[in-house]
Amino acid sequence: MANDIAIVGYAQSPSLRQAELTEPQFLFPVISEAIERAGVERREIGFTCAGSCDYLSGQTFAFVMNLEAVGAWPPISESHVEMDGAWALYEAWVRLQHGDIDTALVFGSGKSSPGLPAEIYPLQMDPYTLTPLGADPVSLAALQARAMLDAGKITEREMAETATRSRKNAIGNPYAQVTGDDDPETLLKEPYVTAPLRRHDLPPISDGACAVVLATADKAKALSKRPVWIRGIDHRIDIHQPGMRDLTESPSTRIAGKNAGVGKGKVDVAELSATFSYQEKLLSQELGLGDGVEINPSGGPLAANPVMAVGLARFAEAARQIAERGKKRAVAHATSGQCLQQNLVAVLEGD
Amino acid sequence: MTDAKQDEVDPNAPVAGMDFFMQLEYHELLCPVVREFADALMDKRLIGHRCPQCGLVYSPPRGYCPICVVPTTKADEIELATRGIVTNYTVVTPVQYYGQEETEPFAKVSLQLDGGGNLSLQDLLEVPVEQVHPGMRVEVVWAPDSERKVDDITNRSWGTAEGAIQGWKPTGEPDASPDDYSDKVF
Amino acid sequence: MQERLTTHTIEFPYTRTLGPVYSAFLTGMRDGQVLGIKSRDGRVLCPPTEWDPTTGDALDGDLVPVGPGGVVTTWAWVTEPSRKHPLDHPFAFALIKLDGADTGLLHVVDAGGIDSMQTGMRVVPRWKQERIGHITDLEAFVPEGSK
Repeated sequence: MANDIAIVGYAQSPSLRQAELTEPQFLFPVISEAIERAGVERREIGFTCAGSCDYLSGQTFAFVMNLEAVGAWPPISESHVEMDGAWALYEAWVRLQHGDIDTALVFGSGKSSPGLPAEIYPLQMDPYTLTPLGADPVSLAALQARAMLDAGKITEREMAETATRSRKNAIGNPYAQVTGDDDPETLLKEPYVTAPLRRHDLPPISDGACAVVLATADKAKALSKRPVWIRGIDHRIDIHQPGMRDLTESPSTRIAGKNAGVGKGKVDVAELSATFSYQEKLLSQELGLGDGVEINPSGGPLAANPVMAVGLARFAEAARQIAERGKKRAVAHATSGQCLQQNLVAVLEGD
Repeated sequence: MTDAKQDEVDPNAPVAGMDFFMQLEYHELLCPVVREFADALMDKRLIGHRCPQCGLVYSPPRGYCPICVVPTTKADEIELATRGIVTNYTVVTPVQYYGQEETEPFAKVSLQLDGGGNLSLQDLLEVPVEQVHPGMRVEVVWAPDSERKVDDITNRSWGTAEGAIQGWKPTGEPDASPDDYSDKVF
Repeated sequence: MQERLTTHTIEFPYTRTLGPVYSAFLTGMRDGQVLGIKSRDGRVLCPPTEWDPTTGDALDGDLVPVGPGGVVTTWAWVTEPSRKHPLDHPFAFALIKLDGADTGLLHVVDAGGIDSMQTGMRVVPRWKQERIGHITDLEAFVPEGSK
């Protein structure tokens, strides 16, 4: 059995289309705020883990620079994943299971604005058969969206409705980038960007960061009046080649959700890394989230998509729903790779 | 591979390798503190931020001190001296890998500036590489007004100022005592 | 103080070794033949993989010809190709289940216009004249029956 670990602090930067500050510069206040909200001394933190992407930054070992925002002198115990900060949270959660330390700092950050996502993302693909074709994330998502449309599992109107709701929800979110109150009919009149996807089906290009502080049970109770407990967490991965799996399903999400214990109780709210509009329905179905579940009250990735932080931001937003909005049970989801290839699911609860 | 050998390649032999040329372009806004640093270079001034807590000087400024984890602002800006001591050096013997434009051995030096502040990866002028040594007293050589430019300075420049500073040349003063810099070698 | 946009380029010239499976697959490409690989359960995987993606079993390198034609199982219409895409005019990315294969190969369809595309359509390869052992030796698939 895993030990109880809680989220005791979180902070985000606003998502910007083009940040003027460098990644360590905009991480600096975010990390400080998360630590301050947790009420821990910076030097007390037992482990630090970060998620970022050097190809996004355009510099080898760029993640080392990000440590300047942490305070890493005298030397600290730290690690890095070339993945979304949600996977850094997973590593920190595992590290805290050892029991010899009681707090961990997790952060994710990225600047998508300097490079071209359509040119950078193919580099994460199979280098023999996919990268040389320039297989970009929007085209691959469009393949998955059409597979779902052809299978009758979603309609273009449902996709527009998801986008509409995301933009409306984001109006109250100070960190969001895309807000609005257009109705689905208006959005559906727009031309396709990469058919069958229109602009509203795509996430924005964002620069941003998120930080979360975790604590073991006793420490969390001492630090926080309302710790947000991680009751279950798991991540799974599907086959890499997009033509070797049924794109209208996400077995990795289903299994991760089951192992995280999503179905063990009523879910009030879910923050899902549905980076493309059609993914929300697919993820909701694989996680068994019914009509009563509020999905992405923050606006989700369609409103703010700071790559490498967007998954961790789902934890921060889900934790906010429990710590500040009185919700009892929430699901946080992060994804990695093309067409929802890899998925991480956690169940968060208040006392 | 010589031309003769290339001619011997069997066109029907199995394909054993695949070339992949990875090229990415980034267009990034220069962050405000580095923009101020670059603007100052155009005026032949070298600026930095002095940490209000520990006193360490960062040039170009970062907007924070990573040691104390405190922000630094315009109020912490100082002008650095353009004379100092060579504290460390390396001589690079170029290997002609892709992108290497240098062909002859060259030195890069670390500097401790008079009054505080360090620079690394600076070019030393007028000194044969075999004569470079720690303790040398040097002064800046600015690029001439008509040629001085800061277009190549990015958020990733790490304090190199090629285009604005041509390099550093000996002042002719005697070498500094190791006691003056031995705790500032990096 | 004016905003200033800086430009920064990174370049890495890689040469990858291929191993037996991709060597055979790309040798096939050079020779104008798409190959798949047999998995232990008798399915034919195209593109071939070194391990069975379902069971993790090593595959023994038994490559078999597939195609040349096949069926589009899903597709996306790219109106503005990037400089990393194989074609410089609007085209479709598609998953193509080649005749004799049980999985979809990602490639491009040069269909002329979006109206010429539909799920389930049959396509055939158009090969480059000069082939070097690369996935883009197969320049594009085209609708079967078109020129």
